[in-house]
Amino acid sequence: MGKISLTIDGRRVEVDEGRTVLEAATEAGITIPTICDHKDLSPFGACRMCIVEIDGVRGFPTSCTTPAAPGMVVRTQSEELRTLRNRTLELMLSGHPNGCLVCVHREACEKYRPRPTKAGRTTRCGFCSNRDECNIRTLAFAAKPQELAIPTLYSSYNLERGDPFMDRDYNLCILCGRCWRICEKIHGVPAISIINRGKWARIGTAFDKSHVESGCTFCGACIDICPTGTLADRYARWYGRPTAETPSTCTLCPEGCSVLALTEGQKLIANRMIAFSSQTSLCALGRFAYPQVVNAPERLTRPLAREGGELIPVDWESALHAAAEGLQGSAGSVAVVASESTTREDRHLYAKLAGALGARLGTVPSVSGPEALEPEELKADLHSGKIEAVIVNGDLLDESTLGQLKYIVAIDCLPSNVSEAAQVVLPAAVLSESQGTYRNAAGEVKPVAAVSASPGEARTEWRIVRDLAQAMGLSGFEYAAASEITPEITSDAAPGRLSANPRFSVNNLPGRFRGHYLADTVRSLEAFELPASPHKLLEQAAADGFALLEKREVVPNMHLLKIKAPQVAPYAKPGQFVILMAKETSERAPFTLVDWDAEQGSITVIIEEVGRSSRELVSLRPGARIAHVSGPLGVPFPIEKKGTVVLGGGCYGIGAIYPIARALKEAGNEVICAIEACGDYLLYMESEMRSVCDDLLVATKDGSRGVHGGVQEIFKGLVEAGRRVDFFVAIGCTFMMRMASEATQPFGIPTYVALNPIMVDGTGMCGACRVSVDGKTKFACADGPIFDGHSVDWDELFFRRSAYAREEIEALPQMAEITASGWQQAESRGSDGCSLRQE
Amino acid sequence: MGEQPVEKGSAPAAVQPKPRKARVPRQPMPERDPRRRRTNFEEVPKGYSEETAIVEASRCIKCKKPFCILGCPVNIDIPKFVDLIAQGQFMEAFLKLKEQNSLPAVCGRVCPQETQCEAQCVMGKKYEPVAIGRLERFAADYAQVHGGVPDPERAPSTGKRVAVIGAGPAGITVAGDLAQWGHEVVIFEALHLPGGVLMYGIPQFRLPKEIVQYEINNLRKLGVRIITDHVIGKTETVDQLLKEGFDAVFIGTGAGLPMFLGIPGENAIGVYSANEFLTRVNLMRAYDFPRYATAPIRPRHAITVGGGNVAMDSARTALRLGAQSTIVYRRSRVEMPARAEEVHHGEEEGVVFHLLTNPTRILSDATNRVTGMECLKMELGEPDASGRRRPVPIKGSEFVIPADTVIVSIGNMPNPLVPQTSPDLGITRHGTIVANPETMATSKPGVFAGGDIVSGAATVISAMGQAKIAARSIHKFMMDGAEPPGQPPTLPQTPAR
Ligand SMILES: Cc1cc2nc3c(=O)[nH]c(=O)nc-3n(C[C@H](O)[C@H](O)[C@H](O)COP(=O)(O)OP(=O)(O)OC[C@H]3O[C@@H](n4cnc5c(N)ncnc54)[C@H](O)[C@@H]3O)c2cc1C
Ligand code: SF4
Ligand code: SF4
Ligand code: SF4
Ligand code: FES
Repeated sequence: MGKISLTIDGRRVEVDEGRTVLEAATEAGITIPTICDHKDLSPFGACRMCIVEIDGVRGFPTSCTTPAAPGMVVRTQSEELRTLRNRTLELMLSGHPNGCLVCVHREACEKYRPRPTKAGRTTRCGFCSNRDECNIRTLAFAAKPQELAIPTLYSSYNLERGDPFMDRDYNLCILCGRCWRICEKIHGVPAISIINRGKWARIGTAFDKSHVESGCTFCGACIDICPTGTLADRYARWYGRPTAETPSTCTLCPEGCSVLALTEGQKLIANRMIAFSSQTSLCALGRFAYPQVVNAPERLTRPLAREGGELIPVDWESALHAAAEGLQGSAGSVAVVASESTTREDRHLYAKLAGALGARLGTVPSVSGPEALEPEELKADLHSGKIEAVIVNGDLLDESTLGQLKYIVAIDCLPSNVSEAAQVVLPAAVLSESQGTYRNAAGEVKPVAAVSASPGEARTEWRIVRDLAQAMGLSGFEYAAASEITPEITSDAAPGRLSANPRFSVNNLPGRFRGHYLADTVRSLEAFELPASPHKLLEQAAADGFALLEKREVVPNMHLLKIKAPQVAPYAKPGQFVILMAKETSERAPFTLVDWDAEQGSITVIIEEVGRSSRELVSLRPGARIAHVSGPLGVPFPIEKKGTVVLGGGCYGIGAIYPIARALKEAGNEVICAIEACGDYLLYMESEMRSVCDDLLVATKDGSRGVHGGVQEIFKGLVEAGRRVDFFVAIGCTFMMRMASEATQPFGIPTYVALNPIMVDGTGMCGACRVSVDGKTKFACADGPIFDGHSVDWDELFFRRSAYAREEIEALPQMAEITASGWQQAESRGSDGCSLRQE
Repeated sequence: MGEQPVEKGSAPAAVQPKPRKARVPRQPMPERDPRRRRTNFEEVPKGYSEETAIVEASRCIKCKKPFCILGCPVNIDIPKFVDLIAQGQFMEAFLKLKEQNSLPAVCGRVCPQETQCEAQCVMGKKYEPVAIGRLERFAADYAQVHGGVPDPERAPSTGKRVAVIGAGPAGITVAGDLAQWGHEVVIFEALHLPGGVLMYGIPQFRLPKEIVQYEINNLRKLGVRIITDHVIGKTETVDQLLKEGFDAVFIGTGAGLPMFLGIPGENAIGVYSANEFLTRVNLMRAYDFPRYATAPIRPRHAITVGGGNVAMDSARTALRLGAQSTIVYRRSRVEMPARAEEVHHGEEEGVVFHLLTNPTRILSDATNRVTGMECLKMELGEPDASGRRRPVPIKGSEFVIPADTVIVSIGNMPNPLVPQTSPDLGITRHGTIVANPETMATSKPGVFAGGDIVSGAATVISAMGQAKIAARSIHKFMMDGAEPPGQPPTLPQTPAR
């Protein structure tokens, strides 16, 4: 192919013929901003960010669609281009929650909260799982967001969380079209496309079906290519940017697809296709189920040996020794039964072990169970009791065989009837935990990379087999690494093909891996009607519980719950909180009382969805029962006549200051309420607030209404205006309360804050809620929650609040999968209770 | 619970030709292998088989003046129930136990028998005492497994109402007795599940929670109403309860206020009170995370500070969560208040003991997570007020034990909430409620108290003993002095030996 040369920004650039101007610039190291463009997509020219000026060409052509021509003179930067690109950005971002981009506190806030909050609805970057990898943000910052006019027009679409594996929040969608274009490119007929027209145009499936019913193959390409947080991998999303991406091979089925393994430290969080093309796409198992199998909490982690009828955890040496001895006791009637799912090295060693032992070798296709054991004679001999002892690496023996066998050595990653019946259980590394090569059904030999740490004491299978062989005194097994085995493999047959390729349809997904039902480990696979063992129900619903009288999402992500709690309502006082548990399995989570009605016996709380507990609660529907409501707890706010009081509220704190304002007003104070939100569409309870205060002041982080900033800016404004402030109350997120306290400190204005450390019981019996105030340790639930904001050790509080950050990330998808696996019963897709549209 | 608590058919070691009674050794109770139990929450001792129970029961020589009864805070007719077991009349033995003890399955497991009934057993003088606790447990488990326990009879309704605050062993006992005598009983419990320490404190491997819930259900069958999620003092006060038509109030709110060391670094992430640590695991079932939502503690190296039973429970729980588990105690082994059996179990499972060691500082990293604990070596000096030799620090003996988890288990104070909100309730300077030991009446008419809130952190059975006394006085108080049915309990005696 010939080369052509052109000039870009005054530089001579040489590229292959047929390249676009954008490609030419990129090759030359010149950056042109783009959004809808992607290297794996054909040029689309939709977002118009990549416009350039070309001598002799009228207007501003999009560089992604303009072929580079010899002698062309291109400019990528000019004042006019900048203005035009800013208009484009403004248009795109006006429909996108963008408060954080223009917030004056962003840097401090992001330093203080290094991880985005696990919110239900993303109403700002701080609540967005895409934050660490977002191109929109990069573009916006490059364009100086303060100069952009970008009001947020929140679309109020329902969250789509009823499908397995993926969360969709179309309120973030900028209509770049990458998702449906990649879907079309990979699958021919896309499962998603632009639906509706004009203002309500958005991405969706035909007739708004669930993805399970839409023909979607769950390859995950749309998620991985979406530049925004609209489409997210439920399991991986809150881990943030992966720390490594390693090419490897999925060995869940004989297709043996290439994958890019995404890890965070030693943990595998997702697999992605190596390139967005129909040849390299993945199925739902390889893309989504794989990390859940690897990280399954039920993984086998310790070697076990049966002594006196019980499986006893022992060290590796004793386990191997016991296994060797047990097998030697049945010498001559031993069989090795191995799944084809492992690496070639592992399979080779199993075969070699069988040879060295003079044992029979049986194999089972990686997606099958005991019924598919080959050869047939071996199956018969197992049934007849001719074989006494078996080395087996999966759930590959049926009940009647298990009953016949005298000795079983199970080498496996997951528990099963086989490991439960075994005399010795050796925990094995699996999938992304072991290195080697894999021959797929097409006959290709592909590399398998070890990218994640195996749990507990689990070891790679080749090593287990090597050590077992050595424990039995066999020679020829002296390998130091899997790679030393590879050259020995001379002829290994390719595994049989699946009758239908799982990558083409969720109906083709295999249900088993090493004999285990995948849906037992990955519950949401039941949505595809994959088989599972009957599982016990988690916990019955509480017999009585507390009725949810009313439940509304008042503004995005902020839910009002009115609960029948006659034991709380008559005793509630301003500043107190309740502990709620949505279910018997829930955490005890504290929420500030916003209102109560002693006569009706009801209480009202405002719950912001920021994690598992709040999600469980806000997902309940009116009429449902909350398992436990305990309260009122905490020391009430001291209501006295003090003069002029400023009450600052943010997030759930807007609701929380309401009863305090009311009481202070009744006590004869001049009450000024200062409320803040990221944007004006997130402000709530304004009219209620107005009725209990003399003055309601508003601040927004995006400047869409009132003061541009937060309550601290409102406070500064008051001081500057010469208003007298006798004391200040701030309730909201820790960051806001700290900022407010810091703002009032120089003026010596007494400032109260309602602290929100992690709690367990909330009654003063555990000390989980310890905070340091004025150098002394206090229990926030019993001594607080209201403390002097100037004496609080904020750094300590911040650290203590983040104590379980990792566990919280793990807990969320687990709960979400459980909810989503009931997707078939869901009446509509907004059915988890997160609906802003009034029905 | 994993396995049936009562094992059948396993031949006991010593049923050879009927030996003379006194010669038969005390029967050991089979236990789960320590290597297995340190990895899970299965109950450690497996209980007697029927045969072993009969052999052990036959060791009792049926003293004319049974001292063992005096050693029991609830005066169980020990020789009688033991004899019934020896006769193979297991259900009858259980019913005998039930006359005096509402929670035999619990007490058989957690009572410190070695300082109570068994300490008084005459057999113990020359040989080993009869294994009263194990037999109690056997009979209770037998009844639960075989069912058919007749529902206890309730006296006709008296029309009197009693409010019981706290559903721990004290509250459960008072409620059971009073309900049986025909009174209407309502228990108010602050937490979401009744049981008190039995639910949130004592771990599953020592007291399966299913047993506690079984007992609670029995209580419900008696017509006792248990209102959970109800914090007295934050909702009604004691005065309000009395005004709202309760004829009497019993306070059994326990000693749930954890103490901390007061050393630098104690608020680092990874420092827990034993209460928090055990509550997360037991009550909130964090070991079953993420099915249960409460965040688990995943210790790699846990240090438990303290030498009592609670410390043993914490250290052994830490072990089961996968940690290397160390106990740091400032006195020596003999001063350890923990039961010898528990220390032994801990050792068997691999808990490491740093005795005569006192923590001075908790070290943490830049994100305030625990990295270790600095300790000082101690030596024993002169005896102190408690008669135990006082530990004194050895100068310059500081050393650091690396750890990511520190569990502070140095005791609990009485729950202050009810005393705080009942101004005319007499309390001691330790925060316990003053109650007449013979009636358990407080300084407030119609208000009685018992359990840890009166005695400070003590034992299940002493809480129950006080509750038994309180129940009788409450009955008398409401019924114009009339004695309730059954024998009045004798006050527990301090063991002679
Ligand atoms: C970890 C641990 C291990 C132990 N091991 C043993 C052992 O092996 N053997 C033994 O004999 N003893 C043991 N003990 C001690 C024993 O558990 C206690 O002595 C006993 O439980 C005291 O019973 P109680 O009913 O007085 O109080 P608790 O069991 O503490 O019950 C009090 C109840 O009252 C509730 N409550 C408190 N305040 C209020 C309120 N304001 N309103 C409503 N409800 C309220 C609490 O939530 C709690 O449920 C142990 C203690 C712990 C912590
Ligand atoms: S996608 Fe997320 S991180 Fe990016 S601009 Fe939108 S809200 Fe912010
Ligand atoms: S969902 Fe994502 S990829 Fe699809 S159009 Fe919207 S922003 Fe673009
Ligand atoms: S088809 Fe799916 S399960 Fe099979 S190898 Fe490919 S990604 Fe893995
Ligand atoms: S939450 Fe347990 S003491 Fe505050």
